[in-house]
Amino acid sequence: MLLRGLSWLVLCQLLGTALNVLLLPMLPGPIIGMLLLFVFLMLRGEVGEPLSVASSSLLKYLPLILVPPAVGVMAYASDIAADFWAVVGALVLSLLVSLAFAGWLMQKLIERQQRREDV
Amino acid sequence: MSPDWQGAWQALTHHPLFGIGITLGAYQLAMAAYERTRWVFLQPVLVSMLTVIGILLLCGLSFAEYRSSVAALTLLLGPATVALAVPLYLNLRRIRQLFWPIILTLLVAGTFATVLGAGLAWLFGAERLMLMSMAPKSVTSPIAMLVADQIGGIAALAAVFVMITGVIGAIVGPSILRLCRVHHPAAQGMALGITAHAVGTARALQESDECGAFAALAMSLMGVITAVLLPLAIVMLL
Repeated sequence: MLLRGLSWLVLCQLLGTALNVLLLPMLPGPIIGMLLLFVFLMLRGEVGEPLSVASSSLLKYLPLILVPPAVGVMAYASDIAADFWAVVGALVLSLLVSLAFAGWLMQKLIERQQRREDV
Repeated sequence: MSPDWQGAWQALTHHPLFGIGITLGAYQLAMAAYERTRWVFLQPVLVSMLTVIGILLLCGLSFAEYRSSVAALTLLLGPATVALAVPLYLNLRRIRQLFWPIILTLLVAGTFATVLGAGLAWLFGAERLMLMSMAPKSVTSPIAMLVADQIGGIAALAAVFVMITGVIGAIVGPSILRLCRVHHPAAQGMALGITAHAVGTARALQESDECGAFAALAMSLMGVITAVLLPLAIVMLL
C-alpha cells in the first residue's frame, strides 16, 4: 500500500521535473508534480487508499524532513546579521496588517453573499 | 597501550550516519518538548534546527559535510511537496458554498501580504538576497523553501522567516482579529491560514473545528498559488 502510493508520488515528481526542463522553467519540479497529482485527483474524483496512506505518512514527518534545509542558516549567519532587523520589522508589520485585512475582507464577502441569498 | 579516544571520536562524528543520527535525535527531543508544553515558541523545526547547529559547532563539523550526510532525508522533500495535493483536494471538496469569497480573499489578501512584506523590507533597506528569501514568508515551509530557491533567495533563510511569521501570527492573530471585529469562524480561519500557514492553522484548530478547516484550506491554497504565481511574477517584473 505504502510503496504503491509512494511510487505515485515519485512518478508525479519525476514527470514534474521533466516538464520543468521542457516547458516551465519558472515552476519548481515538485510543484508541477503536485499540480499534476491534483488534476489527477479531480479527474478521478476520489483519493485511493495507497495514495492516502503514503501522503499522510510522508506529511506526518514533514517537519523532520525540513530540519536539514533549516540548518543551512548556519552557513549564512553574517548575511542574516546584516539585514536582520529590517527583515524582521517588515515581517511583523506586514503580518499584522495583512492578517487584519484578510479577516475583514473574508467577513465582508461572506456577509455580502448571505445578503444576496436572502433576497 | 591506551585506547585511541581521539580516533574513535573522529570515526564517530565523520560517519555518514552521524548527521542522520543527530537529526533524528534532535527532532524527537523537540517533538517531546513541544507535546509536553504545547508552547508556541517551541516549534519542532526551530528547536531541532538550533540543537543540530549546536552539535555541529561543538563537533567542529561544516554544514557541507552535514548536508551530504543527510542527503537521503532531504531527497524526500520533493515527494512530500507532491503529497500536499491530497489534503488540498480533500479541503477543496468541502467548501463549495463559500467558493467565491474564498477565492477572492485568497487572491487579494494573499497578494497584499506578499507585496507588503517585500515592499517594507525593501524600504527598510534589505538586500536582494534577503528580499527573495522573505517574499514567500506567508506559505508553509516546504513550498516557501522551494520558491525561495527558485527566485534566487536562500531556502534556509526562507524557513526561518516562515517560522518567525507563523509563530508571531499564532500568538497575536486571534486577538488582532477580535480587535478588528472579525467574528465569523471562516473569516478568522482564512486570515490565520493565509498569513500564518501551518502554525496559524494549528492555532485556528484551537479556536474551533470550522475555523481550523478554513485555515487548513487557506494554507494549502495560498501555498499552491504562491508557488505558481510568485516565480512567474518575479520573472515578469525583474
